[in-house]
Formats: sequence, structure tokens, C-alpha cells
Amino acid sequence: MQLEIRNIAKLYDQKRGLKPTSFDVDKGELIAIVGHNGAGKSTLLKMLANWILPDGGHVMIDGIDLKNRAAVVRSVGFIPEDPNLFDFFSVAYNLKLFALLSRIPFLRVEEILSEFDLQPFRKSKVQTLSKGLKQRVNIGRALLSDPEVLILDEPTSGLDFEMTREIYHLLNKMHDAGKTIIFTSHRPEEIRNLATRILVLHEGCLIFDGSPQEYFQSDIHQELYS
Amino acid sequence: MMMKNILVLVFNDLAIAYKNKTFFLILFIPLFIFASLNLIDGTNAEASKIKIGLIQNYAYSPEITGSIKATKLIEVTWVQNEDEGVGLLKGRKIDGMLTGNEKVNGGLALLVLKKDSLHTIAVVRSFSALQKAAERSGPDWITEINSLHEGGFQRQTLPTWIMMLVLLVGFIILPAQVAEEKEKKLLLALLQTPITEIQWLIAKLILGMSLTIIALLFLHMLGQFGPVPLTDYVAFILAGSFCFSAYGIFLGFLCRNQASARTLGVIFYLPHLLPTAMSDVSQKLSSIAPFLPSYQLYDPLQKILLEDGQWTNMFFDWSYLILLGTLLLYLSYLMMKKRWLM
Repeated sequence: MQLEIRNIAKLYDQKRGLKPTSFDVDKGELIAIVGHNGAGKSTLLKMLANWILPDGGHVMIDGIDLKNRAAVVRSVGFIPEDPNLFDFFSVAYNLKLFALLSRIPFLRVEEILSEFDLQPFRKSKVQTLSKGLKQRVNIGRALLSDPEVLILDEPTSGLDFEMTREIYHLLNKMHDAGKTIIFTSHRPEEIRNLATRILVLHEGCLIFDGSPQEYFQSDIHQELYS
Repeated sequence: MMMKNILVLVFNDLAIAYKNKTFFLILFIPLFIFASLNLIDGTNAEASKIKIGLIQNYAYSPEITGSIKATKLIEVTWVQNEDEGVGLLKGRKIDGMLTGNEKVNGGLALLVLKKDSLHTIAVVRSFSALQKAAERSGPDWITEINSLHEGGFQRQTLPTWIMMLVLLVGFIILPAQVAEEKEKKLLLALLQTPITEIQWLIAKLILGMSLTIIALLFLHMLGQFGPVPLTDYVAFILAGSFCFSAYGIFLGFLCRNQASARTLGVIFYLPHLLPTAMSDVSQKLSSIAPFLPSYQLYDPLQKILLEDGQWTNMFFDWSYLILLGTLLLYLSYLMMKKRWLM
């Protein structure tokens, strides 16, 4: 097992957030986390990415506690819903900055630029790019260190059909490369096409953990999208 | 309908102003002005009592001592020697000291902190009035005015400009930059690389100190401030920029967004700048200002630049700046570890 999540919890104002939640993730799984807004999906992902600290519980990645940030920082790549890039700098600058800080050779930046079809935009300032392109840069940046686990918070939110398809393609490609992927989504077709496993959160509690087939045949899916 | 829309927008803007703490600024500035005006020693410096130091063993003419004793406008402090008087003058305990003028027989030399100040004008006017009342005519009692502060007007105002720049970087520029990185989740993105919280804090500290030093170098290139005692000067510039850069980073961590950080920056900037800069013209402020960290930078700079002071004699002020900066940096570190308002 690659990820061991035990009783991880984070409550805001004693109500919203995530109640103690436990589950395991095996290497190479592509997990979709679904649920209504405020169900605790983003909170869970942000805790896995070390963005927020849990009130309790722990997360182990390949046997190492997530609290040991230095040891696991290269193992997890997090892509938030809104791209968090240095807007006033170019695409190449952003990637090179993070490559420098992560001690990754610039050759890898060139690989990412080519792999994500970003070469034509390498000198463009991030603030001039569309949301889809920014998201592509964001995913590229997260993949610079070639992390084993990739966490995406609503990766296709606000994207048009073409861009959404591109993101699906990228996720499939990364999954084929053996990466473990966890993402949140509100789109049934996205979950059906991509996920190998589905977790459903409701009011901060994990209420379903199963395969897409089980999920789409269950009442939970009907209740969530009725 | 149009009016309704405008009203809705205005209320929305007011709500935003409340949320990003602009309202606090609007209330704070009048309150600050009110408090400052009450702290300054009256609006008319001439009308307030003048404190003059006289040397015990010096033979002042009986007309002068008699006139001073007779008036209620002047309060006399007798000092053992000139050094004691200089000490009182530096400590703002007296406004001036009368000594003999070797160049003019029977004339007096007035020693003041600054020549171009309201206090000096008030002292000269008072003595002029006393002389008129006592003698009607005759040579002036005060035949020379000497200033304790060396250098011209530009050099005398240099500590104020330095403080202004150091505080500008510390309270206005850095908090906004830190808050922006938090607001746009850039700091969290950076923390997804192997860099540590301490490395990030040190980088921000170096940024603040570099900006201050660049601004000061530029100021020295443009102004005619004369030579400075480099070691003492640099020691305090480094300590001051360290302390206020750390202060700025700390303020940035207290805010969720840039707008709040700017407001909070101004709220801290004014009370650190004005009382300290105005402490030279107000005895009340000179007793309050030492409690501000900015004074621990301003006062030593004044002594170094204007009174030939040495860094080694101001070790308390220097240590104070370093310790305060270190403490604020540590608090910032704790907030960063806790992902405070991120």
C-alpha cells in the first residue's frame, strides 16, 4: 500500500470540514473523490498535500509520515483548482524557478514544455494564458519532480470541452505511467471514464468506497445527482 | 433602478472596506492626529517655558542672571561643567546652555542641539526680550550660537529620511508582498518544493534588507550628506533593516490578503515614524518615543551622524533591534508552520 490514511480530520467552526476518515491507497490507483460542495473533498486533498494541517490522525506515504515534509515533498504533487503560478513571469520562468528549488535539471523543464505542448507559450506571461493553459502549466510544474502520487482538486473545473479532454488525456497518460492519482470531481462522465475507484464524502464522512461499477449502480449516486 | 444599483454597489464597497480593514485606517488616522497633537508641547513653542543650563563656575553678568531669575519664562538648571550640560542637552532635559564666547569679550555663546529648530528660535527671542527689558540698548547678550549637531541641514535631517525608508520597506512593502504570496497560494506552492520555512523567511529578510540598503545608497548618491563613520553607521543600518524587515514579514502573516496588509502597514508606519521624528521638537514626545522600536534606530543614527557617537556606546539599542527582529521572525516561523491564514 502506498498511502495509509488514518483518522485524518479537520473541522472548521466545529462543523464544516472532514470528520475522522481512514482509507488506504495502492500504487497505481486512480481515485475519484466525489461529494457535494462542503463535503470535505478539498480539505482532504489539501491535508494530503500538506497545505493544511489536520486536527488529528496521520498520513503515511510509503511508510513515511507526511509530517516529515522534507522526506515526502518529492513524492506528492498537488494541483489546486485555481492555478497558483507567478502570474507576472513567463511559463518557462515559473517552471525553471520550481526546478531550481527542487534541484531538478533544466532539461526536465524542456521535457515538460514539450510533453505538455507548452513550447509555443514558453515566453508568454502566465497572466496572459487561458485557464486551461494555466492548468496545463500547473500540472507540468507538479510533474517536474516526477512524483509518485498526484493529487488534483477539480482539475477540469471551468475548462471548455477541448481543454477538459486534454486533461483527461494527461491523467490517463500519467496513470499508464504508473502514477497514483487522486482527484475530486463533480462530473459523472469524468468519474466513469477515468476512475478505478470512487470515494464518496458526505458532510465530512466517508460514506462509500468502491469501484465505479458499484458506485453507478448504488443509491448513493442517484441521491447525489438526483 | 439606477439609484438602487448604485446604492447596492456602495454598500458592497463599504462592506469590502470593512472586511479589508480600510475602515480601521479611516478611524485610526484622525485618532492618531488627535493623540499626536495632544502629545506635542502646545502649538506655540515660544509660549512654553524654556529650560536653560548655566555653568556654576562661570561668571555671568549680574544683569543676565538677575533678568533670568526675574522672569517666569525661563527655567534654569545649574550644571557643574560644560560636559554635564552637553549630557542634559543630548538627553533633551534642557533646550540650550549658555557659555562664554571667547571671540567676543563679555558675550555669551548659546549651545543648542540644532540651530534650525523652534527651540533655538524661542531661546534667542526670549533672551532678546529680556535684554530689551533690562538694558533697552547695548551689545547682544548672545553673540554666538553653536550647535551640538554637526553638518548642514541635509545631514541633520538624514536620520529622519533613513528611518522613513527603513519603515517604508518594513511596514508598507514587505507585509503586502508576504500577504500576496499567501493570498495567491504561491507560498504553499513554494513549500511543495524541498525549501524549508526558515529558508523562505531568510530570503524575505534578505529582500527587505537589500531594498533598504539600495534605497539608502541611492539617497546618499543624490544627497550631500557628507562622509559617515562607516562601521557605526552600517552596524545600525543592518540592525534596523533586519528588525523592521522581520516586523514586516510578521505583519504580512497576520493578514489574509494584500489590502489588509497595506492597511495594517500604514497603521504601524505612522505611529513608528511620526513620534520618533518629532521627538526633537517636543519634550513630551521625546519621553514617549524611546518606547518605540523606531527610536532605537533613530536616536543612535542621530548620535552617529551628528554627534560623533560610536556603535559600541549604543550596544543596548543595537541589541534591542536584533532581539526584537529575531523574536518577530520566530513568531512568523511559528505562524508559517501552522499555515496561519493560508
